[in-house]
Amino acid sequence: MKGYRKYFGKKLFWFGITFIAALLLNFTLPRLMPGDPVSMIVSKQAQGLTEASAVKAIYDNYAKEFGTSKPMIEQFFTYVGNLFKGDMGTSFSQYPRKVADIIGSAVGWTLGLQLPAIIMGWLLGNILGALAAYVRKGFDKVLMPMTLFFSSVPAFGMAVTLLVIFSITLKVTPVAGGYGYDMIPNFSWNFINSVLQHYQLPFWSIVIISIGGQAIGMRSMSIYELNADYVKYARFLGIKDRKIVGYVFRNAMLPQVTGLALSLGTMVGGALVAEIIFSYPGLGTTMYQGIKMMDYPLISGTTLIITVMVLVATFVLDIVYGFIDPRVKAAQFE
Amino acid sequence: MQKTRKLLSMLLAIALLCSLFIVPASAETVELPRNETLYFAGIQWGSVNGWNPLSDDMNNGMAITQNAGGSRSIMFETLYMYNMLDGSLTPLLADGDYVWNDARTEITVKIKPAAKWSDGTAITAEDVAYTFATSVKIGNARGNSYKPFIETVEAVDDSTVLIKAKLNDEGAAVNPLQMITYLEEAYVFQKAWVEAVEARSGDDPAAVKRDLGEDVVWSGPYTKYYADDQKVVFVRDDAYWGQDASMWGTLPVPKYIVHTIYADNPAGETALKAGEVDVCQQFIANIQDLWLKDGLPISTYMDEAPWGICVNMPTAYYNLDKPVLQNAALRKAIALAVDYDAIIQNAMTGQSPSFADVPRSLMNPTAGEQATFDHEAVKDLQWAGDDAASAIAMLDAAGIVDTDGDGWRDIDGEKISLNACCPNGWTDWMAAMEIVAAAGEKIGIEITTEFPEWSVYQTVVTAATQDQYDIFMMWTDSAAPTQPWGRVRQLMSSEFVGVEGNWSGNWGHFSNARADEIIAAIPSETDEAALKALYTEAVQIYLTEVPSFSLMYRPNMFHAVNESVWTNFPDASDGRNIPPAICVDGYGIAALYELELVNP
Repeated sequence: MKGYRKYFGKKLFWFGITFIAALLLNFTLPRLMPGDPVSMIVSKQAQGLTEASAVKAIYDNYAKEFGTSKPMIEQFFTYVGNLFKGDMGTSFSQYPRKVADIIGSAVGWTLGLQLPAIIMGWLLGNILGALAAYVRKGFDKVLMPMTLFFSSVPAFGMAVTLLVIFSITLKVTPVAGGYGYDMIPNFSWNFINSVLQHYQLPFWSIVIISIGGQAIGMRSMSIYELNADYVKYARFLGIKDRKIVGYVFRNAMLPQVTGLALSLGTMVGGALVAEIIFSYPGLGTTMYQGIKMMDYPLISGTTLIITVMVLVATFVLDIVYGFIDPRVKAAQFE
Repeated sequence: MQKTRKLLSMLLAIALLCSLFIVPASAETVELPRNETLYFAGIQWGSVNGWNPLSDDMNNGMAITQNAGGSRSIMFETLYMYNMLDGSLTPLLADGDYVWNDARTEITVKIKPAAKWSDGTAITAEDVAYTFATSVKIGNARGNSYKPFIETVEAVDDSTVLIKAKLNDEGAAVNPLQMITYLEEAYVFQKAWVEAVEARSGDDPAAVKRDLGEDVVWSGPYTKYYADDQKVVFVRDDAYWGQDASMWGTLPVPKYIVHTIYADNPAGETALKAGEVDVCQQFIANIQDLWLKDGLPISTYMDEAPWGICVNMPTAYYNLDKPVLQNAALRKAIALAVDYDAIIQNAMTGQSPSFADVPRSLMNPTAGEQATFDHEAVKDLQWAGDDAASAIAMLDAAGIVDTDGDGWRDIDGEKISLNACCPNGWTDWMAAMEIVAAAGEKIGIEITTEFPEWSVYQTVVTAATQDQYDIFMMWTDSAAPTQPWGRVRQLMSSEFVGVEGNWSGNWGHFSNARADEIIAAIPSETDEAALKALYTEAVQIYLTEVPSFSLMYRPNMFHAVNESVWTNFPDASDGRNIPPAICVDGYGIAALYELELVNP
């Protein structure tokens, strides 16, 4: 037990350090972009205003509201101070909305889209990869090139292809949005059906690509494991194939679990392409808008979410690893 | 193995359930009947922030847009509605025409007796006065913008508004033209509601502007119904005062107005083609192909090219902070060599009249603006472009020649090397800049294109001085009651030189004393002939000095409609005089009262 405590303590310490470093970068990097966010906001309102004094008054007003004229170090401490109070600040581009409110309304869509898609892609990919390694012959010959192909298609290419085929040419799926253009959200079968219909293309555009990557990895790992000495030994002992596949799967899974944890952690960034192409709501679109409008608090807010998710995923992974692979635990406790 | 499988299937089930729990609060009507709903695209980008029209930043394009070319009046209303077709002002909250006093320092406006707020109370002159006073007090965009030329807005009695001009040293109104803009641009808000906002904000101007205005009182025919990250829905107010015989005599036809929030232009265009959008305010390349080739029931305001009414003139500015560009012959020679027809065909896909059809001046192609100057007097100064021979002759005559034999012309022994810039991703502008660069090559002047991001571009262009961009693009004013004076000022007034954060105009920092005198004289000039002489002289200066040159004509609003559900949209040839203002701006809103269903 003491060993566990020390192990977790050490881990937590390093995650803490990483978190502080990430926080600093989250805050600083957006502010190093060339350009001036206040003038971006003013540009939206000043078009059509003919009085230079009026434009200046608007500029000064926002510079004061956003505190962008203060020294960066002072802004950083205000930011961190507010974070401790659970306040991620006020968005520049969607002023006066709170960043937490914007992220809150977007995060459900991203989780709803990404979580099932990543898990589904991971599951299908691993099963197909293991099967390809085990069955070989025709199955592998067909599957391998296909998975290679799909895993190398860029995410936007896949999304656009699906959009053109299913929405524009065949007209079997909706073009854009998270639910019907003629609906208002409510608890009814019609609405749920509409959400599910709009869900299909973004969902499959993510699944198909991740199947490819996962299957390739799983196949190689399984082939490697199938040729391992312990498998030969098990066969020699006359252990049933089913049982051996179980051993192989468990060993080949290890790197795949890392992959899963990392894709769960980075899902917000990964959501960007699918969300933008399908005009699907979510954190990816939010972050994209934040970057376009130089909305520092919003960029910092979304990247903070990514940072926390990656850190949590890696932390959980470290713990889970210990359980599924005693060798890792042993090594870590040394 | 069994356990893992169970765990994974549970995880999957939870994840799928998650996707169902993202449903926001429900509203009464959950499906919008297609034949009662008018769908828009190209106005609302990103989700609505709030409903407070005193704020500058509600990102609520459909409800809150005050614009000199015609304010959007589905929820909030102005005194008058502007019609860019004939420059007329039609009374909305106002009763009859506005009246100037003899000295042209005061305007009197009557309020319609029938005009009511959504809570049933009468709209009074006091509301108009309080709206103006509050806007100035809290320093919002409108307040700051009217302050330089309106002294006060007073309520003489419940139904009479008196607008007093700010006076100059001679006792004349500083700018009578801009006072007219106030009449058709400024919304009127309910005094009682504004006072309530002030009270809960502790009279703090910033807090007043931050208020989300969820309880806002309106006077227009529609009100907020539902808004989220994907759409904003308005519902008709069936108690709308405007159904009184003294105004429209009826309610607008669509019960709901919906704007779906698309990620970008292509998404909106796809939805228009699919019939999910009825009115689309987006530039669509080769729009005529939608009906000529694809056979879709889509149309625009005009049956022939340029398909719309062009009132804006995207313009290439010379950076006059650069010594080399202070040479007028060089500026004019580059402008002469540019192939504008290629720009119009490539960048605008033909959706602009050519400079042979509408020779260049400071005026847009509308008949009203074209009539303001003497065409004969400026004829010799105009050019239609793609004239490398004249440009080369002009450069040679000015002594701008290749002295070192490297193929490029020099000034004072130095090669002229310029960049041509516009924001990255603005594809029509980028195409135009490429054609400008190509013109340089034809006449021996090195011009290279650069496309910085908008966030950087706008900071550089609006700076007090800059040495980064040599030739760069910006827009001009569209149609408004102050035009073409506003555009003359925007393109030539030296009042904008050296102003930090300059969004008003003259981005190339041109200075000309006579031009400034003309710009100062026009707003107070009432004699038609004298006015024409002033405008003509302004055009002569502009075409001689060439501080900038327009590259194309362009509509202020694109106005493509899909007639698969709704029809009887305004059309240039229907004689109704309803402008192509997307059925919601200025007098363009008259279209909403005349729409018909394709299948009733």
